[in-house]
Amino acid sequence: MSQDVQTRPAESDTRESVDGLDGVGGVAGNRSVGASDVLDRLWRFFISMRTGLMLILTLGVFSFIGTMLAQVPVGIVGDPAAYEAWVTSMKPKYGGWTPVLDKLGLFSVFTTIWFKGITVLLATSVLACSVNRAPRLWKLAFHPRTRMGETFFTHAPLRANILVNTGTDTAADDVRTVLKSHRFRTVTDPGTDEEDLYADRFRWGPFGTVIAHLSFVVILLGFFLSATTGFKNTQFTAPVGQTVQVGEGTGLSVVAKSFTEAYYPDGQPKDYASDLVLYKDGVQVDRKTIRVNHPLSFDGVSFYQSFFGVAASMKVTDAAGKTLYRESAPLSWESKDKKHAIGQFHLKANGQNVYVVAPASGKVDPEIKAGQVQLEVHENGKDQPLATEVVSQGKPTTINGLTYTFERTRQFTGLTVARDPGANFVWVGSTLLVIGLFLVFFFPHRRMWVRIRKTSSGSEILCASTMKRDVAFEPQFRQLITDIQLAGTPSSPTDTRLAGSPSNETQKVGQNDA
Amino acid sequence: MLEPTVAMQFSKYSLLAGLMLVVLAAVCYTLVLALGKTAHQAPVLAHAGRATARGGVATAERPQPPVSSAQPPALAQYGTYFTWLSLAFLTACLFFLTIGTGHGPFSNQYEFSISFAWGMVLAYVYFEHKYKVRTIGLMVLPIAAAFLGYALSMGATANPLVPALQNPPLLITHIVVAVLAYGAFSISFAAAALYLIQPEGGKLATAGLPKPALLDEMGYRAVIIGFPLMTLTVVIGGLWAEKAWGTYWSWDPKETASLITWLIYGAYLHARVARGWVGRRSAWLLVLGFVSVLFCFFGNLFFGGLHSYA
Repeated sequence: MSQDVQTRPAESDTRESVDGLDGVGGVAGNRSVGASDVLDRLWRFFISMRTGLMLILTLGVFSFIGTMLAQVPVGIVGDPAAYEAWVTSMKPKYGGWTPVLDKLGLFSVFTTIWFKGITVLLATSVLACSVNRAPRLWKLAFHPRTRMGETFFTHAPLRANILVNTGTDTAADDVRTVLKSHRFRTVTDPGTDEEDLYADRFRWGPFGTVIAHLSFVVILLGFFLSATTGFKNTQFTAPVGQTVQVGEGTGLSVVAKSFTEAYYPDGQPKDYASDLVLYKDGVQVDRKTIRVNHPLSFDGVSFYQSFFGVAASMKVTDAAGKTLYRESAPLSWESKDKKHAIGQFHLKANGQNVYVVAPASGKVDPEIKAGQVQLEVHENGKDQPLATEVVSQGKPTTINGLTYTFERTRQFTGLTVARDPGANFVWVGSTLLVIGLFLVFFFPHRRMWVRIRKTSSGSEILCASTMKRDVAFEPQFRQLITDIQLAGTPSSPTDTRLAGSPSNETQKVGQNDA
Repeated sequence: MLEPTVAMQFSKYSLLAGLMLVVLAAVCYTLVLALGKTAHQAPVLAHAGRATARGGVATAERPQPPVSSAQPPALAQYGTYFTWLSLAFLTACLFFLTIGTGHGPFSNQYEFSISFAWGMVLAYVYFEHKYKVRTIGLMVLPIAAAFLGYALSMGATANPLVPALQNPPLLITHIVVAVLAYGAFSISFAAAALYLIQPEGGKLATAGLPKPALLDEMGYRAVIIGFPLMTLTVVIGGLWAEKAWGTYWSWDPKETASLITWLIYGAYLHARVARGWVGRRSAWLLVLGFVSVLFCFFGNLFFGGLHSYA
């Protein structure tokens, strides 16, 4: 009996691959040329591994630019004046490059046509690769090649040659039993004189690449839906006790019954909590104390605790004593010098905007004392105020014929209110991505071909296997060979020694590193 | 239960011990290499593949089970013991830190630096055990020591958790998974760096450095552990961001940096089977990937953003 486990360079094994990452660039020729040369070239471009690689790296470069350069805050993208002011404020930092960077869209990298274009190209490439690859993976898994040529058995990276006493039928049964005990599936090749067997394990593993790649597209789709559907209001303010409409066709309104803030002894924030009551078409549908990390969700709309501040409760009456406005204006903006908190409300009766200005928390303004706010009445769209007046709490003051009363301050809670149908796509995609990667990396498709032929004293069993990027298979292969050999030789001390130390053979062909 | 202040003291002593042991281990390995002996158990390599013109490389040189004639030098064995001990002390350090602060040791740069170093030492111990290649320790251990020294220079502050971080299950999974991913990536960096400092053909292998093919294999093995974990880190981060900030992705600098990291390692996985990218170019991607990991770690020091606390 002899055993000859060898590990040598594979020469005939480059055509079929073990996992789906293999040589995708090399199989473009499968598609017929001639029908349309341009389409064919395009197809080759998109299924090329190098194309994918370049797109991934380009996306990385753009993302890097996006972290290195200041990016326009989301809130002011739609406001040309604010945008202009923001770009100007970048001049000290980027000097003469500022207009160039602006022109190239590099202050909003993630919304530029470049970034989106590359993402779309990458998604196309991913889809093309998956379409290109799936049939091959299907064939490898469900219609595997069950017989290999003679050269495969003499040149495969993992191979062994076992001589046993038993006849070919018994040997084949033994091989099948051993492979099954190692959880391999065995397929017997039909119609040859010699007994040819194919065995594999984890044949569904390579589909992990398809799952992972397609899930990436699902995630991108989720991002697209998030950007184009639903809504997100990051500046939603609800003065305590006041009903505020959510809008956006939701029919929802919300009242913050209370807002509490807590701090650690060192002054760090500890907790923000808003007791929210939610109404749908005027009927209460939910009530929950929301805090950071604990949002309230109803009907796909979520309410997140985000910020808070002080609101000024104002009352405005006309000469006849009719109330024009009686609500709280959240002072949710900050002046440029950060010394003032500013709120604003709109008078429907005359179309005027009223700005309410108070010293920011911890700041002192000699003009606006404690218990006072300054009112600025503007004609809609005009910068120049019609009138500016400091009013004291509880003292009705007449400005331009209307009576303004600053009743009191109250807290407001600031929420992010959002409905994001894209998020679910992102979660489904992410889950599939993780599952896909897990399959690819930890369940590599392990395959083995066996040929059994008659010899004068029994049978010769040839075993051969590929192991591209699956080095962990080698010990298992050795164990399989040992077990097959043991199955064929019930008792023989010499053989047991050989079988017990199969690596002795290998060391002869290997190179010593020392 | 320990008094928090006492626990913080214990944590600091453990940190010091861990740092010294990491340095000692690195010194041992350096000496072994400098004295001209192989720092790894001379693996018996079997050629089982070679670069093919068709773009697939079947590198399968790997160590066999150790043979009796290739026992590591005693000094190298001590180095191994030191890394085990340092891992134990760093684990103790994080444990006491958790007791001292009342939350997982991930809430500021001090705590996260120690966690990062812990991840590196853990990954190193695992890979040394698996591949018997101590030479990568020469790369990984000094980096781990630098992070521990950096932590030591900052000093511990028992910061309470700001509201956004008050989500123990997500805080722990998000960061533990990130630390494990970073640890694995540090191994792939070390393997790639050792690959790149050797001229083509691996002539320095005789000087005690592992064969390039083995380093290539190790780099890849580390990435296939690190990449799924990195993916998980970003996904869990997205879940958390949606819960805490109301949106799963906001192009925050740290988010973007982790996306870049993910893209680079994704590129590496594809590069390894692409024509013309096998070998040195792939190794360069691993170096770039680790630079990106460091950028992830330190980036928010420069750019602020939503992750400004850690």
